Parts: sequence; C-alpha cells; structure tokens
Amino acid sequence: MMGNLSAKAASAADGRSVGSNRLGGFVNQAGIYGIAFLFIALGAVLQSFGVINNFMSAQNFLNIIDAVALLGIVTVGMAFVTYSGHYADMSVPTTMALAGIVSVEILKYGFVPAVAAALAVGLAIGAINAIVVGRLKANPIIWTLAMNYVTMGVIRFVWVNKQIYPDMKTDDALTLALFDNIFRFRFFDLIGLPVLVLVILMVAGQFLLMRTAYGAQLKLTGSARKAAKFSGINVERVVGIAFILAAFTATIGGLTVTSLSRVGAWYNGAGYDFKAVTAIVIGGMTLAGGRGSIIGVIGGAFVIGLMNNIMTLLGIGTFSQDMIRGAIFIAVVGINAKSLRSLGRDDA
Amino acid sequence: MNADRIGLALEMRQVSKRFPGTIAVDEVSFEVYAGEVHALVGENGAGKSTLMKMLAGSFNDYTGKIFINDKEVELHSPSVAKKFGIGMIYQELSLAKPISIAENILAGRLPRKGFFIDRGAMRTEAKRLMGKVGLDLDPDLPIEDISQHEAQLVEIAKVLGTSPCILVMDEPTSALSREEVERLFDIIDGLRKRGLAIVYISHHLPEIFRIADRVTVMRDGKKVGTKDIAEASREEIVQMMVGRSVKEFYKRRERTIGEVRLRVRGLSRWGFFHDVDFQARRGEILGICGLSGAGRSELARVLVGLDQADAGGIELDGAEVRGEGMAYYLAKGIAYLSEDRKSEGLALRLSVEDNTLSAVIPRLTRGIFFNKKDGAATVRRLLKELSVYPPDPARTVGNLSGGNQQKVLLAKWIASDPKVLILDEPTRGVDIGAKLIIHDAVEKLAEAGNTVVLISSDLPELVGLSDRVMIMRKGRFTREMSYEQCTEEALLLAANGEESA
Repeated sequence: MMGNLSAKAASAADGRSVGSNRLGGFVNQAGIYGIAFLFIALGAVLQSFGVINNFMSAQNFLNIIDAVALLGIVTVGMAFVTYSGHYADMSVPTTMALAGIVSVEILKYGFVPAVAAALAVGLAIGAINAIVVGRLKANPIIWTLAMNYVTMGVIRFVWVNKQIYPDMKTDDALTLALFDNIFRFRFFDLIGLPVLVLVILMVAGQFLLMRTAYGAQLKLTGSARKAAKFSGINVERVVGIAFILAAFTATIGGLTVTSLSRVGAWYNGAGYDFKAVTAIVIGGMTLAGGRGSIIGVIGGAFVIGLMNNIMTLLGIGTFSQDMIRGAIFIAVVGINAKSLRSLGRDDA
Repeated sequence: MNADRIGLALEMRQVSKRFPGTIAVDEVSFEVYAGEVHALVGENGAGKSTLMKMLAGSFNDYTGKIFINDKEVELHSPSVAKKFGIGMIYQELSLAKPISIAENILAGRLPRKGFFIDRGAMRTEAKRLMGKVGLDLDPDLPIEDISQHEAQLVEIAKVLGTSPCILVMDEPTSALSREEVERLFDIIDGLRKRGLAIVYISHHLPEIFRIADRVTVMRDGKKVGTKDIAEASREEIVQMMVGRSVKEFYKRRERTIGEVRLRVRGLSRWGFFHDVDFQARRGEILGICGLSGAGRSELARVLVGLDQADAGGIELDGAEVRGEGMAYYLAKGIAYLSEDRKSEGLALRLSVEDNTLSAVIPRLTRGIFFNKKDGAATVRRLLKELSVYPPDPARTVGNLSGGNQQKVLLAKWIASDPKVLILDEPTRGVDIGAKLIIHDAVEKLAEAGNTVVLISSDLPELVGLSDRVMIMRKGRFTREMSYEQCTEEALLLAANGEESA
C-alpha cells in the first residue's frame, strides 16, 4: 500500500517543484571573486590605454589590500547581524570611533589597558544592542541608528568635541610605537597586521557560521525566527551574540583606523556602516537573512576596495564615489530580490 | 442543466500550464454556468490552485483557450482578469487591518470630491456593498476590531464591488465556525440566484454537497470528471480524488499499552486552561478534542516549555520535569509539532535536510563541531519512511507541496526521538495520500513504545487513531472517552458541551 502512496505523493508535488537550490551558494561565492578579478582586469586595461597610472604596481595593490583589510574586519561581524535576519548594525561607525578615542585616552596607562578599555566599551555597546534587539525585539535599524547618535553625542560631550592624539596622552615611546603598529606592522615588510587579523577573523567567522551549533542555530533563526523558537532554540541569545560579534569586529576596526590616522575623533568610523552593508550584499548575503557566507562577504569587501581604488585613480571625487556606491547597492539589492522572486522565493 | 441557466459564464478549453520540469495543469477543460456554484476538488497539488491562478491572470504563458461569456479572452495579467469580471477570494484575506471597512472595500477607487475623499459617498457605497453580504456594521470600524467571520464578509463585499461575473472562493470556510459557515452559504446562495458564476474550492466534502450544483474533480494536473452533485455520492468523489477506495482509512492495528509515561497534575495557565489532570502511557495515542479556543494549543505550549505554567506539575517516567525553555523539555524527550506549519514549524527557505535536523542541533554537536553529516542517514531514512517527494534532502522546503511539507515537519520531530510527541493538527490542509502516510508514521511511533498526544479538529482522525480521547471545553477537561465509546457524533456533542445519550 505504501508503494502506491509514494507514487501518488510523487505526482502530488509536481505543480510546485522548482529547480534545486544546490547551485546558489558556491556560484555566489566563487562569482564574487570572479567579479574582483574582472575589476583587476579593468584596471589593467585602463592603465594600458594610459587612462590611469600606477594601478598595476606592488605599492597600489598593498594599498588596496590594506583598505580591504580595514573594511573586511568590520564586515565580518556585521555579516552575522545580516545573517541573523536583522539587516545591519548601524551603530558600527560610532562603536569604532568610541573604541578608538577611548584607547587613545587610556594610552596613558599603557598599551594593553588601552586595548582592553576599547574592547570593554565596544562590547558594552554590543551588549546593549543584544539586549534591546535580541530580547526586547526592537527594530534593528532604528535602534542601532539611535544608538549611533547617542554614542556620537557621548563622544562629543565627553571630549568636548575635540580630537585627541596619542602623543598628547603619553610620552612612552614603546606604548606609542605599539599603538602605531596596530595598523603599520608588516610581516616581512609586506603583509600588514590588519591583513593577518582579517584572515583570522574570516576563517574563524566562516567556521563559526558553517561548522558550529551556533552557526546552524543562526541560520535557522535568520531564515525563520519563529520556527527556530519552536525548535527549542534560544533565539534571543542567538541574535544577541550576532550583535556582540558585530561590536567586537567594529572595535578591532576602530582601533585599526585610529592607529592609522593617529587621532581619536568622533568621525573615525564614518561611512563604514554603509560600506560594510554594501560589501555584504555584493558578497551574496541577502538582507533577508540565513543565506551567504563570510568568504563571499569578504569577496564583496575586496570588490569595493578595488572599485574605490580605480575610481580614485580615475580622479572621481569622493561625493561622486558615494553616489556610485549607492547606485550599485540599490542595483544589487534589486537584482537579488528579482532573481529570488523569479525562483519563487519572494519572501527575500 | 436547468432551463433557467442562460449559458456559460466561463469556459476553459484544454488549458495547460507548465512549470520547469512539470505540467501543473494538463489539458483541462472546465466550464461554469452563470447562476451555478461549481465545486473544484482534488488533493493538494492536483492543480486546482494553478488552474484558478490562471483564471486570475497570474500566468502569461498558459496554453489553451479561455472564454468569458462566449468571448475569447487572454488572461495574461491580473488587471486584465479583473477587467473581465473575475473576482478572487483567497484563504488568506487581503485586508489592511488598521484601516476602516469602507476604505478596505473601496481600496483603489475611493470616491473623490475635488482633491478630497468624499467621506459621505464612501460610507454610502460601502454600506450598499455590505448590505449585499448581510453585514450590518459601522463602515468606519477598522478591520482589526471586527471578527474573522465579518472580515471574510468584508472581503466578499470588496470583491463584489468590482462587479464580477465569476467569483472564485478558495477554502472560504477554513477559519469559520459552523453557524458562520451557514450564514456564508446563505450569502453564496443569494449570489447564485443573482446569476453569478461561482467556483468553490474546498477540502470539506459535506460543504460541497451542501452548496454546490456541480463538482469537478482534478488529480495530478488532469481533470478526472465533472458530476452533478445530485447524482454523486461522497464515496464516489473521494474515489475520483484519490483513485482508490477510502476503505483503507483507519484500519486499526493492535498496540500494547505500557506503564504511565506522562503524568500531568493540576496544570493551569490562568485565562487559558485550569486544573488539567491526565496521564498518558507508553504506546498510547491520547486524543484531545475541543473547539477552537478550548485551550488545547495553549496546553501543548506549556507541556513543552514554550510557556510557563501558573500552577501544577508535569512528570515524565515518574520524575518531575521542571526547567525553563523549550530546549530543556526537548532534551528530556517532550516534543511539539505546532499547528502552524508555515511560520512555527518549518523554515521554508531552508532545505529539507536543514529543517529535518533543526530540532537536533545540540545532539549533532561534538565539542565545538556541528556535524550535519551525522544526521544525513537519519534524514534519508525518514524521507523514505514518510515517502517525501522529491526525496532530495537539498530541496528547499518551501518548494514542496503542502502534504510533503507536513511530512518533513513530522520527520523533524521524529528525528528528535521524543518519548512524548504532542501533535497539534498534524494533517490540517493536507491531501489524503499524505494524511495516510502521516497516520501510519504516528501509529508506528506509538507501536515503538512512545506516547503520542494528538490534538485535532479532524474528528475521523481522532476517532480512528486515538486509544482514548479527552474532551476539552473552555479550558477544562470535561470528559474522557475510550476507543469503544468514541464516535464522531459523540465527540462533537461533548466538545459543544452537550451530553450524548
């Protein structure tokens, strides 16, 4: 009897069967690096026609990689928020700024306390986001945006709208050198410390997402929060951890940016929110949550880094670059939504 | 046909619709007369919805011909379909909750006076349309303040406002009580008398015999046949739907019932249920019967730790279960298949495998590694046991038919290897084939010595599967019936608070 039934069930499903979904992930991941390669080729062609200079040089590639490392570090954590189905952490810019300015302030007590203090304030912001969005279910965008403004206000209030410089806070040469080297240290005079940090975060992030129970729970939560809850998953904790991870990488990014600019100031992380989200969606992680990978997202950061570099070499102004990046973001989100809809997954 | 039937309102001549790899509707011819209620039945995935979507203008690539009032039309977009007088009423209502009845009914065509909305005219027109469905409410009330049944009537009034000549109703009674269904049928009757052609899709055969003039049965994308309701029997229609006899239903197998596994004492959640006492044994299927609102699902939520009890206790195999959060109860061996498959049960965007393993993530984790591969064999076994089609673990669950989705949901809970499995409406909205498979799996679970608590509104299912049925009414257990005492009629009377003789 059961044999008949399975045949029956077989035909019953027909009306809705749509192509398998095994393709997606890998092609998306590989695809983004393909696009990065196309940008390199574009740069090479532009240079060979004499439109831009110095693209194909070791120094330029180092510059690109340093910039990608900075953006990439911030993006890894933010990607967990996106993957959890909560779009983005808009408080990343001031988390970076606060971590940076606090570290400069605390430099007077030494390098290690400075880094520890930065982590403490950064993670505190993450914890607040985790509680308010994870447990109290506030709208993630609105809440983190508000958090961003509050933090900015705090910075400008406490430091009376001033920038502070590491050498203002300490005379200790070793401490200053250590702080300088957060960004500037290079292995074999070549690979910067931030690049190493990015690689570590990327590998750890990919592992966390793909190979641990937390990753599996986050995937389920990001895809269908209620179903996750009804599967016995503590969704509040799962979502909260995603926001803490975002704050953690924002803190590391903040330290790196502050080391790079040698100044602690409220504007230090400006623009990283949108750049990170753009990298995330270009890298194949949809805003609906539960899809994509950290490897893909870093590919997205790489594409943005290349694009910025070529635009700068072409002499395109900062504002025009912003417009172009914005337009690309809109296009990617639009195409994504459309292609998902045509596959019958219009909930994304 | 009666002589007063003027002619065909709708004729679909050998229409087909393909999806990649399959034919959802295969050369179907379908005719509806003006002034006729024409029931369209078939199991899930038989092609009914696709056929009706075609009529609603959802596809621009169907083949075959469609005639409306003898005129050939091409229904390639929803606006064209609307223009030709096709009105659709779906299961899920399309009303905006915070705005008023009048604004909903006249959405998109509010009467204007210059730049402003003519509120007076809006109210009058809304009142007129509400009158057609016998709705006597203040048109300024927001939808969220009226009942489900009234909202359903508002939906009908809204569609009538577009003066359709063909009205398609897809499971319009699924959320209604018996009296409300009767009132809806009176309205449908009135519309029929006014010459509307009505296509009525339903899983409930008694409703079809009550309201329809003719019935068309579909199976596997093809039309099996059309019959006058007066000449058809229920048996015959079910047989056309499934292609085999219903006698196979509920052939009871012997089970051995062991010692007490679950004991519930004085369990209460204020406002939902009070002083609930019962016990369930190994190998037993305990049915819980009650009307909607009796507190059945609320009880289940407390039994699995989704909500906290205000009083009372739960014992599993003689040991008190006391902890917070569903994960704790799940680890102890109490699992809950919720009645809402689409939002609470499955993550529709994820694969069959991800869903099947979603309740056992902690168990597949060793150290920090989550070993999905360790669950692969379980997934394959369950897909086979439950005849999930296609048996492809990588397939997105949302792309399966409803019946197969429900099988995956059951697989998810069987995979968690529960000692007590609470099933809340395990076969709601599922085709007969899938239902049989699910029932078989539930019986096997009990035969293996597990306890099943079956909450269901499907009376034949309760009567056929349960060893005992507890009747729940207004938050209390009012009666218990043994398998021998249990009949559909007796359950229904007891659930309504009337004693059977």
